[in-house]
Amino acid sequence: MNKYWKSLTELKNGENSVPDQAMPKGNLEQILDIFDKNENASKSNRRDFLKLCGFSLAISTVVASCENSVQKAIPYLIKPEEVTPGKANYYASSFAKGNDYCSILIKTREGRPIKIEGNDLSGVTHGGTSSRVQASVLDLYDTSRYKHPKKGNQKLAWEELDETVKKELNRLKNANEQFVLLTSSIYSPSTISVIQKFIAEYPNVKWVQYDSQSALALIQANEMCFGKAGVAEYRFDYADMIVSFDADFLGTWLMPVEHIRQYTKKRKLCNGNISMSHHIQIESRLSLTGSNADKRIPVKPSEQKLLIVQLYNEILKLAGKEIYSVPASNDNMKQIAKDLWSYKEKSLVVSGSKDTSVQVIVNAINFELENYGSTLRVDKQLHTFKANDSDMDQLLKDMKSGKLKGIISYGVNPVFDYQQGKEFSDALKKIDFSLAMDEVPNETTALMSLLAPDNHFLESWNDFEPKTNRYSLMQPGIRPLFDTRQFQSSLLSWMGEDSNYLNFIKNHWEKNMYPMQTAYPNFTTFWNHTLQQGVFEPGVKSVFDTKFSLANMNSFVNQLAKQADNKGIELQLYESIAIGDGKMANNPWLQEMPDPVTKICWDNYLCVSPKQAEEMMLETGDVVELNSQVKLPVYVLPGQAYNTVAVATGYGRQVCGVVGKNVGINVNFLLPSNDDFTGDVKLVKTGEIYNLAMTQTHHSMEGRAIVREAGLEEYKKNPSAGNESHHAYENASIYEKPKFPNHHWGLVVDLNSCVGCGACSIACQSENNVPVVGKKEVIRAHEMSWIRIDRYFSGDEFNPDVSFQPVMCQHCDNAPCENVCPVAATNHSSEGLNQMAYNRCIGTRYCGNNCPYKVRRFNWFDYTKADSIPNNLHDVAEMTIDLKRMVLNPDVTIRAKGVIEKCSLCVQRIQEGKLNAKIEGRKVKDGEIKTACQQACPSGAIIFGDLNDKESKLVKETSSKRNYHLLEEIHTLPSVSYLTKIRNKKA
Amino acid sequence: MSKPYRLTCALFIFILLLAPFQILASEADSIAKDDHSGHFDYFLNSEKRGERLFKGLTRTPVEWQSCVSCHNIDYIDTLNWNPSAKAIAGTFANKSIAEFRSALMSPLGKKMEESHQNYSFSDEELGYIKSYLQDLNSGVLYDTKPKVNNLIVFFFLGALITLALVDLFFTKKIKYKIIPVLIFVFAFGYQIQMLAEGAMALGRKQNYAPIQPIKFSHKIHATDNKIDCRYCHTTVDESKSAGIPHVNLCLNCHVIVREGTNSGKFEINKIHAAIESNTPVEWVRIHQLPDHVFFSHAQHANVGKRDCQECHGLVEEMHVVKQVEDLSMGWCLDCHDKTAVDFRENGYYSESFKKLHEKLTSGAIDSVRVTDVGGRECARCHY
Repeated sequence: MNKYWKSLTELKNGENSVPDQAMPKGNLEQILDIFDKNENASKSNRRDFLKLCGFSLAISTVVASCENSVQKAIPYLIKPEEVTPGKANYYASSFAKGNDYCSILIKTREGRPIKIEGNDLSGVTHGGTSSRVQASVLDLYDTSRYKHPKKGNQKLAWEELDETVKKELNRLKNANEQFVLLTSSIYSPSTISVIQKFIAEYPNVKWVQYDSQSALALIQANEMCFGKAGVAEYRFDYADMIVSFDADFLGTWLMPVEHIRQYTKKRKLCNGNISMSHHIQIESRLSLTGSNADKRIPVKPSEQKLLIVQLYNEILKLAGKEIYSVPASNDNMKQIAKDLWSYKEKSLVVSGSKDTSVQVIVNAINFELENYGSTLRVDKQLHTFKANDSDMDQLLKDMKSGKLKGIISYGVNPVFDYQQGKEFSDALKKIDFSLAMDEVPNETTALMSLLAPDNHFLESWNDFEPKTNRYSLMQPGIRPLFDTRQFQSSLLSWMGEDSNYLNFIKNHWEKNMYPMQTAYPNFTTFWNHTLQQGVFEPGVKSVFDTKFSLANMNSFVNQLAKQADNKGIELQLYESIAIGDGKMANNPWLQEMPDPVTKICWDNYLCVSPKQAEEMMLETGDVVELNSQVKLPVYVLPGQAYNTVAVATGYGRQVCGVVGKNVGINVNFLLPSNDDFTGDVKLVKTGEIYNLAMTQTHHSMEGRAIVREAGLEEYKKNPSAGNESHHAYENASIYEKPKFPNHHWGLVVDLNSCVGCGACSIACQSENNVPVVGKKEVIRAHEMSWIRIDRYFSGDEFNPDVSFQPVMCQHCDNAPCENVCPVAATNHSSEGLNQMAYNRCIGTRYCGNNCPYKVRRFNWFDYTKADSIPNNLHDVAEMTIDLKRMVLNPDVTIRAKGVIEKCSLCVQRIQEGKLNAKIEGRKVKDGEIKTACQQACPSGAIIFGDLNDKESKLVKETSSKRNYHLLEEIHTLPSVSYLTKIRNKKA
Repeated sequence: MSKPYRLTCALFIFILLLAPFQILASEADSIAKDDHSGHFDYFLNSEKRGERLFKGLTRTPVEWQSCVSCHNIDYIDTLNWNPSAKAIAGTFANKSIAEFRSALMSPLGKKMEESHQNYSFSDEELGYIKSYLQDLNSGVLYDTKPKVNNLIVFFFLGALITLALVDLFFTKKIKYKIIPVLIFVFAFGYQIQMLAEGAMALGRKQNYAPIQPIKFSHKIHATDNKIDCRYCHTTVDESKSAGIPHVNLCLNCHVIVREGTNSGKFEINKIHAAIESNTPVEWVRIHQLPDHVFFSHAQHANVGKRDCQECHGLVEEMHVVKQVEDLSMGWCLDCHDKTAVDFRENGYYSESFKKLHEKLTSGAIDSVRVTDVGGRECARCHY
């Protein structure tokens, strides 16, 4: 069995190392320290005093005829037909922010969006979501949002603003001065049409699209190789073998939600399927994708280019073609090439490089492997990346030279995330006419003179074409909360046209999309149906003859083979899974979501390899100075390639709401956005210590193998491989085994499908009103997440195997927490739920202490204003402000200070599902009730159901030989079970 | 106990003893201030004159009823169909004397016609009345329910106990020791009872019947006019909430029915005013469960086939809605213990619970109660 270790300290010091710390003082003890002056004698006195205080207080409150406050019940004046108070409505829509796209359902209660769910009907995301999609609903209620148009700091009315802008636009047009519309990648057909009209009206306008992490290399490489610019469609679900060079396709590369689904679909071992794709990741930083790979080869970024060329050479050799003269490849590459060749047509090689020549070679490799047409499609494209980096460089040049006279920006923040952000901001200040159209303040909009705030996406109409012929609509879930107007409406009104963008979309669809189908006889039915579904995916057959044509392949090969010199310590920048490029930095749910691999939240940090750390005497938390430019705390990341360091972008926002301001350090300026890495980085240890908020160091499984795993070959021979040891006793408890006369709710987590992305934990936070506690409290191990994803390393410290395991309340049928509760606040239901009655809980925390899975969370403070005692509040994320509290789910109690809480298996959804069945007089259908985590999961790793329903999908999965329970030996009889992780390792 | 703590405790109790007197004193002060504060004489006079007119203290023809005889100025326990002085003040707050006159002199409803007959006030007098009403409207003391201050009783008993104890142990003035002991026992007992009653009533509102913004009578609507509960409370069968009718629903009838038998036009006009001014009606909530209770009307009224009256009492006989039950958890569970489940008809129950069905058919039990299918479990209502 593998030996698992959760951190490097543990690996080195052995399991029994206990951190040498004084016993931490509890909250109350700290407060009461003031009474402790008189040593021993004072102890009982203090208690007596408190008792008396309490007694007197009780008397005065009870007897002083404590009247109930008068509550109002205010019905609608005119009730909207579709709204039923107490029942949720769902609207199909789309999430789109920068390059992130997802087809979603908006759950609204009494007209108020409270939750985002995935849209099953989408052919792109198939009902999956990501953590950012789940968290986006909180941004709607962001207190820092712009509330009206502005000129400087002065409030304007829209009419005044329109007049000013029109005047300026006409002045610049008549003088034929250069003018730029700077946006993020736009993949909305109607918006593109609006912008084109705008340019037709004002021909001096130049449209520049800018992405902080562009996919230019992919676009250009495809143009060179196939004559068609654009990002190809990747089909990881068709690939039997995947080789990825630094492409974090499950985490941040292109479209992770789609990739995760494809990737795990190919690797699911159910319904008799016993084949899995073989995934090799060649990278320097241990990314989310790398931690899921069957084989991971840590290399320095500078070495990758040569490896790719060598792989190309090897493939050519196998194809019997002429090879190039490059240094001979090692056995690893030869083996990979051989394997790839054996999976011809069903393999996939991807690279995250921003170097066009690398992408050209990768295209050539895929072409030689005949992958085009199966795992790769150039005729179907991904449209979410369109930016051309050189446009941005040109823009900066024009700004500096004074050629540019006006700028409108929308959805971008180059001052923060452009490498030359500083220069950009200096140049921006000099421009007379600058107009920002974002919804929240950022570093760029702060420098703009005029402001025409956009709606939040949950208040907007729009359409999208994220992939060729995959259309989707965005519809609002609520009226604009503030005096804002959609970007497109603003442009339309400045052109002097009807500013109703919805009409514009409808007209556009009537002209362009409606003719693509034949199912609907008129446009109105087509539109209504599409709006209800959220997506429109016509089965247009496009014929694209994939011909690879490139004359000067030799020059690319030589260029890459040449660059393989060692460059000292190499620095890579990456986008974090939670925060991304920093646009959503003001979202406390995302800030508190631990990184899947490092388990750190509320910060960015420098990932350093264990060997390097040993050489430089570094430990996690030490602060180092990087190139005398920035000081960063160190995280010693197992698996990080030696002599490489990596740090996440998106942190260190200066101009944003209170949540994201000054969290972490901005590192965007360290590296040009079109470079993969920078060499010869100097690290100097400063001797300072920085406290990183880590969620994992607190959840030790004390060396017990909680994650069970096996190799695919072993599994094929023996389906219960790695899962041999089972607890034999039928009933080892002194209590009678509980009976479940009707339902027995349960959950199964397929560890082979879980990639650890964390969408489930944010979905749970959103569904169950799980509070945000802030960095300091996370450091004190007070985080509240109901579902955590444990990450375990096993094996070699320099290249470990990684396992992810979502852990929520296991709903034990012989629960250790239940029989220690002195007030029976937690007990068992006849449906197998471990119930938690908050109003009964007195906060002894015995249950949390006795829970072997450590899933019970204690409310050390009142984080969400559950009661009216102001001294109990602890609010780092403005979650006690009424506006933000609008996101709370009215079907779940807001927990007050001093009570324990934990996963309820979304009992509110169970109750709702049962009630619907009862009203209709039928049994609950399998799959009808979905927990929030299950709904959010892009890989379908979590399945909820009734263990008593023998036909259910859950029972089918749990009867698999891979099924096991956590800590079976302690006879807790959990209702939650796991399926073993299978790795497709090749000998 | 060490000295500082004793002192602190003594101080604490002292403050507690003094607090009610302080409050009373300050209230008295504020009343006194109101009477004598230096308003302009003219206004003071006009209000005073208005008050005299309103209360019928000035010389007016005998057949005129005084305003106050119909339009109450104080809080009253009984239902007065006529608009209270405050309601009138609120309605005419921003209206001119001419409008006030036309409303007063050209009666709208039958009842008003009878009582307002032959009224002839001058504009000056109407102005006085109006300013008096304005004064009433801004008054703070109005509309709060007068109540016996329990705290005073409690502390009086406390003082009594102290005296009895002091006499018992130190002064020993009373000859028979049984007297201070009896005083102590009764006073302390009464205190305990007050505490217990107060504590149990905390957060509960049995018999709560607040004044509503519109004098809506369920009796007139549900009994006299035989309107079904579900005509207005539309979502009772499908949602958690039964639904308070939106104003537009009222207009289904009241677009035609403009005058009530009892209340004339004043109350019904409020519906039209709400629509016109685009402001919803702010009802005072009566039946309210704590935030940690998730009660579903659909479960009880639709699935459980309970009558509305089982929990709400005979609302159709109430002019003013009152909370009949205490809505405590004990009361909920009592019903869950007694009530039989529709076990054979509803497909949800009929196709599962094998053992219970066996018992039913074998006659071991005569019916399945809510408790038997988990009706006492925490997570059915608390999550």
